[in-house]
Amino acid sequence: MLDNVAALGLGPVFDTVDIGLVVLDSDIRVVAWNDWMARVTGRPSKDVIGKTLHEVFPDLQSPRLITAIDDSFAAGSSSVLTHTLNKLFSLSDGHGELLLHNIVVRPVVSNAQVFCLLQVSDVTVAVTRERILRERQNARYHAIVDSAPDAIITINPDRTIQWANGAAEDVFGYGLSELLGQKIDLLLDKDSALLSYLADDAVFPETDRAIGVTGKYKDGESGSFEVSLGHWTADQRDFVTTIWRDVSERVASDRALREARDALEKINQDLETRVEERTRENEVAMRQLHESQKMESIGQLTGGIAHDFNNLLAIILGSLGLLKKAVPDDARVARLLDRAIQGAERGATLTTRLLAFARRQELKVTVVSLQRLMPEMLDFVRHSVGPNISINVDVAPEVASVEVDANQLELALINLAVNARDAMPDGGSLTIACHNETNGKAHGMLRDDYVCVTVTDTGEGMSEATLARAQEPFYTTKGIGKGTGLGLSMVHGFTAQSGGMMRIKSAPGKGTTVTLWLPRASERDAAEVKVVEAPPTVTSSGLRVLLVDDDILVSMGAADMLLDLGHIVTEAKSGMEALQILDADSSFDVVITDYAMPQMNGLDLAHKVQERLPKMPIIMATGYAELPSGKAFEFERLSKPYSQHDLSAALVVAMKGK
Amino acid sequence: MTADVSELTDIEQDALAEIANMGVSRAAASLRQMVGEQVLLSVPSVKIVSRQAASKLVERGNTRKLVGVQQSFDGPFAGKAILIFPEAQSLELVRSIVGEEHSLEDVIDLEQEALAETGNIILNGCLATIANVLHKTMRMSLPTIVRGDGETLFEVGSETVGGNLVLFLYIDFNIKNRDIHGFIALLMDLPSINALKEIVADFISGIEKQSVGHAG
Repeated sequence: MLDNVAALGLGPVFDTVDIGLVVLDSDIRVVAWNDWMARVTGRPSKDVIGKTLHEVFPDLQSPRLITAIDDSFAAGSSSVLTHTLNKLFSLSDGHGELLLHNIVVRPVVSNAQVFCLLQVSDVTVAVTRERILRERQNARYHAIVDSAPDAIITINPDRTIQWANGAAEDVFGYGLSELLGQKIDLLLDKDSALLSYLADDAVFPETDRAIGVTGKYKDGESGSFEVSLGHWTADQRDFVTTIWRDVSERVASDRALREARDALEKINQDLETRVEERTRENEVAMRQLHESQKMESIGQLTGGIAHDFNNLLAIILGSLGLLKKAVPDDARVARLLDRAIQGAERGATLTTRLLAFARRQELKVTVVSLQRLMPEMLDFVRHSVGPNISINVDVAPEVASVEVDANQLELALINLAVNARDAMPDGGSLTIACHNETNGKAHGMLRDDYVCVTVTDTGEGMSEATLARAQEPFYTTKGIGKGTGLGLSMVHGFTAQSGGMMRIKSAPGKGTTVTLWLPRASERDAAEVKVVEAPPTVTSSGLRVLLVDDDILVSMGAADMLLDLGHIVTEAKSGMEALQILDADSSFDVVITDYAMPQMNGLDLAHKVQERLPKMPIIMATGYAELPSGKAFEFERLSKPYSQHDLSAALVVAMKGK
Repeated sequence: MTADVSELTDIEQDALAEIANMGVSRAAASLRQMVGEQVLLSVPSVKIVSRQAASKLVERGNTRKLVGVQQSFDGPFAGKAILIFPEAQSLELVRSIVGEEHSLEDVIDLEQEALAETGNIILNGCLATIANVLHKTMRMSLPTIVRGDGETLFEVGSETVGGNLVLFLYIDFNIKNRDIHGFIALLMDLPSINALKEIVADFISGIEKQSVGHAG
């Protein structure tokens, strides 16, 4: 070719081309140097011809260029050396600006001699243009990416990390060089959703939604991320840019919030439960209150009727007693009278029970030893319940004495035993047990110390509805004519009036347990367990009696009985009248006064009589417990309705104390 | 005859691998000059296969997207030499050569040039070594970049002057603690393969003479 160039006289072509041409011989000496080279080095051809490349470019840094030149001579290789990978010549344009250039090294054979041709091409313009273009394109992109707090990591289809922003280094703790070339798997759990998403590396699925993943930091800790994916292509290459938002804090606070909400919900539920419980308790309390109010009004009604009835019975009994003495000894008349007296006495018993329920009975409170009382009454209880029922009585020695009316307690226990018997028609067992109770306040009582007497049967038990009404007077489940319906009412009234209470526990088929809470006697009182004295049988007569009663019928009945006993009776219809009589004539032997009287009651009268005549015996006739409680009551009591015998006995006692 | 030609004896395989390793060592030295760091290149195995077989071999794994640096050569034997990487690996190779301070966009921009130059160095190294062993020169074209799947790179299905046989070499790179696996394929016709085999035979006998010389 050089031959043709020379033959055609085209030598000037060599100096006209717009690239640098250098021809070297096998000693790497410059054989030819075109004008373009002269221009960019500032050295004309004559300055460099015959010099080695090293002499021409003493600062040549590229050993690779020398190797390429060697190879072109030795093996005929052609080589490309680019400015990006090699430091080549120092060349500059006419304005002193450095020229970026690539060099192609090729062997040239001419006239059987081998030369090496260096083609130096100026790529400054192209490179600069590309750089400016790219910088312009990338400026906005980098402004976003470099300042983004999110880790931005670009991967190729096989998940190799190709690029990462500074935040990625900060977030994960890896340096850029540790990330590049690694699989993105490095930052993920091996079963991560993102990996399965990227598993098909040929096709990137499109998604608008961020994928929640657990990321792994360099220190081995895990964090929560939301990863968005962006798919792009450059030079027919596929890339995916992943944007990692570290949401660990948000996830943690979400979790905390959720936990707080759950806790709040639980508190709300607890509150609701408590409100429901309280409401239920309230309803129970209201029902109990209602029940006790009902019992109270029934009690008042019953008490009122019984009181008036008692007075009537007193008159009837008194009159019948006198009549029996007055009429001739006729068997038929006597039988009729006895029947009338029995009927009236049964009426009196009934009113006694009614008064007991109404808590208005006269209680003779004493200190009662249960250890003594129980064996005494056992025979009677056994007799009441019959042979089909076994009876167990359990009174431990340490059980304290109680302060109650012993007769009423016996009556209460008999009532309970009879109820138990009726609940066990086919037989069973009845257990009476006693124990000291020290926690009364917890059961709504006024004090802590009580003695509990429990009566338990193995009978059929009661339904809830029956249980609710069991204490009402006249309520009975027994057949008509079989029971009065006053048994449990009496027990209830008795315990309440004694300062205790009664509790019933029962369920159908489970038997019934009745517990009597009785006031415990103080130890001092317990020491004075009295043996009930036998009443004196000595009779007296000829006494001057001042009889005070506002009820004329009662007064007349009593006067008749006294007259019959041989006494002299003066009647007064009120306390005032009685005092006037006494003021006029103080020679009475005894005063018998009713308690319940208008204006001045029996007790007031008694006190006034005592002021005038301290030694005057006074007998107080009462139908129910209107008298002040306490054992210190200093007057002889006479319970209405009373018989002539009762009256006589009371007179004996009163006169004995004179 | 084809069966004979396409088969390499154990000793021929060893010899070719030896020559190829000499070539890539030379290339590694050039790359080291350029990169300024240790570069290790090795050719663990060599075989002769058909183009079709070669196109399957380069698609190992799921990687069907390939990039190749291609140079023609002419001399005692002629043909086409191609250095082939999975596309993703080629980017790794370029990044290890141009340095990690470049952004991904820069690397993509530089890929074409850098890959061409790197491939040029490696292919020159191999071909120049063969020429040296032969004590002859070969003319080699400048490198061009080709992209596509195995069939595209090996021009399967088209009648080409290059013949149907491929001397297939695996090549492992280790640059900056990064492992990159690629292939070198020399597409040659039958006479060229025979010429290559003769060169290999000369090389073997040369070594044997040396051994005998040393022994004597």
